[in-house]
Amino acid sequence: MIIVLLLQFNMSFYMTYLARWPDYFHVAEGPGNRIMGYIMGKVEGQGESWHGHVTAVTVAPEYRRQQLAKKLMNLLEDISDKIDKAYFVDLFVRASNTPAIKMYEKLGYVIYRRVLRYYSGEEDGLDMRKALSRDVEKKSIIPLKRPVTPDELEDGISESFSQGSTSIY
Amino acid sequence: MASKLGLAGGIPERRVRPIWDAIDSRQFKNALKLSTTLLSKHPHSPYALALKALILERMGKPDEALSVCLNAKELLYKNESLLMDDLTLSTLQIVFQRLDHLELATSCYEHACGKFPNNLELMMGLFNCYVREYSFVKQQQTAIKMYKLVGEERFLLWAVCSIQLQALRNQQSAMEYEHFPCLELKTNCHLFSVVGLLQKLAVTIPKIGSNLLMVALAQQSDLVSGLKMLQPFCKEVLCGNGGEKLLLLAEGLLKKHVASHGLHEPEALIVYFSILEQQAKYGDALDILGGKLGSLLMIEVDKLRIQGKLLARAGDYAAAANVYQKILELCGDDWEAFLHYLGCLFEDESSWASETINTPINPPKYVECKLTHLTDEVFDSCVENASAFVQKLQAEASNDSLRNPYLANLEIERRKCLFRKNNDDNLVEALLQYYSRFGHLACFTSDVEAFLQVLPPEKKMEFLDKLMKNSNSLSAVPARALGQSITLLKTQELIGNMFNLSVAKLEGSAVQMAELYCKNLPLSKDLDPQESMHGEELLSIVCNVLVQLFWRTRDLGYFIEAIMVLEFGLTIRRYTFQYKILLLHLYSYFGALPLAYERYKSLDVKNILMETVSHHILPQMLASPLWADLSNLLKDYLKFMDDHFRESADLTFLAYRHRNYSKVIEFVQFKERLQHSNQYLVARVEAPILQLKQSVDNIEEEESILESLKCGADFIELSNEIGSKSLTFNEDFRSRPWWTPTTEKNYLLGPFEGISYCPKENLTKEREENVRGFIERKSLLPRMIYLSIQSASVLYKDNSEINGSLADPKISTELKALLERYAKMLGFSLNDAIDVVVGVSRGLKPYEVFGSDVIDWLNFAVFFNAWSLNSHDSGQQGGERTPGSWHVVNSLLENYILGKLRSMGPLIESPQGDLPILVKLVTEPLAWHGLVIQACVRTCLPSGKKKKKGGSTDQSISLLSNAVRDAIQSLCSVLEEVAKWSQDQIKSPEDNKIDLLVSSLKRNGEAGKVFNILETLASSPNETELGDRISQALRSWSPVDVGRKIVTGQCRVLSEFWRICESKIKSLKTLKQQIAQRVLMIL
Repeated sequence: MIIVLLLQFNMSFYMTYLARWPDYFHVAEGPGNRIMGYIMGKVEGQGESWHGHVTAVTVAPEYRRQQLAKKLMNLLEDISDKIDKAYFVDLFVRASNTPAIKMYEKLGYVIYRRVLRYYSGEEDGLDMRKALSRDVEKKSIIPLKRPVTPDELEDGISESFSQGSTSIY
Repeated sequence: MASKLGLAGGIPERRVRPIWDAIDSRQFKNALKLSTTLLSKHPHSPYALALKALILERMGKPDEALSVCLNAKELLYKNESLLMDDLTLSTLQIVFQRLDHLELATSCYEHACGKFPNNLELMMGLFNCYVREYSFVKQQQTAIKMYKLVGEERFLLWAVCSIQLQALRNQQSAMEYEHFPCLELKTNCHLFSVVGLLQKLAVTIPKIGSNLLMVALAQQSDLVSGLKMLQPFCKEVLCGNGGEKLLLLAEGLLKKHVASHGLHEPEALIVYFSILEQQAKYGDALDILGGKLGSLLMIEVDKLRIQGKLLARAGDYAAAANVYQKILELCGDDWEAFLHYLGCLFEDESSWASETINTPINPPKYVECKLTHLTDEVFDSCVENASAFVQKLQAEASNDSLRNPYLANLEIERRKCLFRKNNDDNLVEALLQYYSRFGHLACFTSDVEAFLQVLPPEKKMEFLDKLMKNSNSLSAVPARALGQSITLLKTQELIGNMFNLSVAKLEGSAVQMAELYCKNLPLSKDLDPQESMHGEELLSIVCNVLVQLFWRTRDLGYFIEAIMVLEFGLTIRRYTFQYKILLLHLYSYFGALPLAYERYKSLDVKNILMETVSHHILPQMLASPLWADLSNLLKDYLKFMDDHFRESADLTFLAYRHRNYSKVIEFVQFKERLQHSNQYLVARVEAPILQLKQSVDNIEEEESILESLKCGADFIELSNEIGSKSLTFNEDFRSRPWWTPTTEKNYLLGPFEGISYCPKENLTKEREENVRGFIERKSLLPRMIYLSIQSASVLYKDNSEINGSLADPKISTELKALLERYAKMLGFSLNDAIDVVVGVSRGLKPYEVFGSDVIDWLNFAVFFNAWSLNSHDSGQQGGERTPGSWHVVNSLLENYILGKLRSMGPLIESPQGDLPILVKLVTEPLAWHGLVIQACVRTCLPSGKKKKKGGSTDQSISLLSNAVRDAIQSLCSVLEEVAKWSQDQIKSPEDNKIDLLVSSLKRNGEAGKVFNILETLASSPNETELGDRISQALRSWSPVDVGRKIVTGQCRVLSEFWRICESKIKSLKTLKQQIAQRVLMIL
């Protein structure tokens, strides 16, 4: 519950994810049925852009600094890799959110491109990617040289634009 | 929407597209214009009409939209040659749905499907309609038709889900039957609920239910014996084997399909398992899992989880334990799997018992377990196995932060304690080991809470003592050492040790914590403001200690200090929600509700949090005069819930479409869980009552509100039903401070003695009883208010012609029946209840006989008086004629309110006090009494119609006028006193009040020591150590500003209350003038 205090989407957003991509929605539960964190995401794209996407990953303050976010991310990557045979996993993060960017880099994500004014038309977002086993040549993560605007994003990705961002706070 | 376009109802796309574009870009006027042009060319096109209706609805013209829609529907039915395309139907469906006429959309689709029985698209639309209506039987029938038509797996699963939902509904009805007091015939106070239950039954099982309902209605005069007769039938229908047959049917359908086509979706397999599981056919499920179909589940560990559960439920514990071992080897941090593993070793099925979606949000802290069936030898060998396995897990753990294998050790020790009762030392030792590994983590105390609970108090203390000794050897890493110190303090709080400390020691520990906080502030120098700071929890614990000091000493200084500490913390980092929640409760208690509400708003509570978190503020607001804020709170909450109920079915259909069948079931159950939310039901009753309170000074406005509430009829229904409704409790109480653990308990209000520690017991049962009683009583109010107005209004109207009869017998009979119910809810018969109120009003009985139901008792007296105005038998019932019952109410209100007022000190010196009850008294019974007065005055006044002059009517009017005049006088004088009390406090100089608050912290030797430490830090922050951000925040700290906010907040509450009183005084004075004029006219 406390987790949801930190990152709130509306009900239909959560439920749409549950209805469409239940494999990409996980809750980490601790002793006493306490919710330690959760991750939600989806799988989408065409051809070589077929990829898993992390929409939100959050850990409750009590359970931070225990690599819980890493476990949740690995779970999602595993499903994208093994079940859906996706080429890569991506996520969006605020360009100013240095601790989160560092964490994702530790988990093997690279900055693929910058999305101008992605967050409420104000702050830039970074599109970070991690290649999966199907992308043998790691083509999906070769960084783009120029930034893009939200309009240039492929369908589907831009959906999370108005809803919020990933967060490890 | 535009992308869906094709040729619709024979209209070319190019003509329609501009209309959709205009709708999509919200240019409704333009869209309407284009649609009019389109209609001129295609006047008989249902699609063109549907489009127009859609536009009208979006423009906020629901009536016009409905009429156009009905037009389209008619054309659709009439014109045999027209194509029935899904675009027309789905457009109509959207409008009908938005207009809350789902049934019309359904009938359109039913008609279309009747005409084109093999059109899959239309059938899917029809299925969707039934999903929206939660018509599971019809869903099933439609899905089966689709399955027969095209043989696709998904449609079979749609049918199977629909069957499963029917089975679940049966189960729910059976549960309600079990809870239904009336059918047990123990009491007849829920007689009205019987009809409610049977109505429900009629929906569940239409044929039998309707018959039962008819019989029951026919027997209403002797419902109890009627029910006795019906009871076996009810039981048969509700608890019979309907569910089993349904599940068997679902299984049969799946089996047949699997035999001919196999299965292709993992979700289909999950549904298959759940159907078998519900029938306890675990062996069959295991066979399927082990067979070819099992390969549909691609994640090994998921498959193992299903296998483990099925084996355990089948009673093959040894095999299940092996499976759980495998799971734990793959997923070392799966705590639930470990509990199941132990459950299997000890052959104890209780860990699978609580799998229900309706369990309260705060589950019991204990993990249930049964051990008594084991012999010593078996138990020892199980423990040995488990310990060996846990050691292996610990050795293999890949990283230091994996808590599970170490928690597992604690769980084994806990079970040893429960089995032998003499194993406490080992558990203490295991806890110490856990501390040495994870003591620095913020989750340490919540991790060990359940394990500590099995220890006797002296062992808990022993554990604490050993931890204390440990505090000399803290980690060399500062942040880790701080974490360990905080854990010590939190454990002390958890164990309840602080209740045994002397005031001086308690104060000393608060000072130490504050110093620790200040000392460690530099650790957070470079943190992002949104990141939690090191040692943040310390201030929350300090606050709790100060609250306890306030309890013990009743020195307000400690209370103010607790507020200051939290405000200080928020000055440094404004995002800390824990501080905000604590402050919210402190401010509520201090009568500064606007500040509490402000803190609540800053939590940004929205969406589902409104259901789980609003308990922090809603109860206080309901008893406050902040009506505008309360109205927003209720409106937002109800809107969220109602919006969800509206869109939930669409989301369920989305799950159907994406073949995620387990979500279909979950979504339906989740919606039902929210619909049964106790808080939702309370809000549904409170929202209209608030409206009634707001308009009570103007009888015409009040009547129009009552009219919009169908004169309270729906609420009577709710009151009837509530006895048989199961309630859900979704409030998350974990975020509450321990000194106010639930909405009903606040230890700040006392009693303070004898509390050794915050209770952790599950209070759901007790709360359920309370909420039921509350809703049952409160939902009678709108109708009683309505009838009271009627009762006072029909008085003397053309009455002299009707055999001297006073009035409308229907009103009198109904109001009397409601008074009887009301009295019964208070635990008395009508006559006895009347005796009680009369006794108290005459001073023969003390007010204490009302207990905590004083508002209800006074309401009862008010409505009794209203009924007496229009009743033959009031003389016999109350032993009094009309003027007597007026006097009863007047003196009850006067004495009680003035008594309260005299015992209350200024708000600034004595937090909380009786202000909420005072507000309730004025805005409920007194207000309803005022309404009765208004109705009487209106009746006495000459209307356009000429009345006969002279004779008994005038005499009666004169009598009544005197009674009403006295009542007005009495209420006015009470209200003037209350208004004066409020005004005196508002006017008292602000600076004096702020001084009073701040100086309470600066008296020598008492409260204020913690405050001084924080003040010292703030007065000269070390910028190099603390960094810019923290130093700047410290410099902005101003306790006087906090004091001013408190004073302003209290004043706003008082002003609002004063305004309410003034409005009533004004209204009463007008009535007084009117009645004086009337009397003059008669004379």
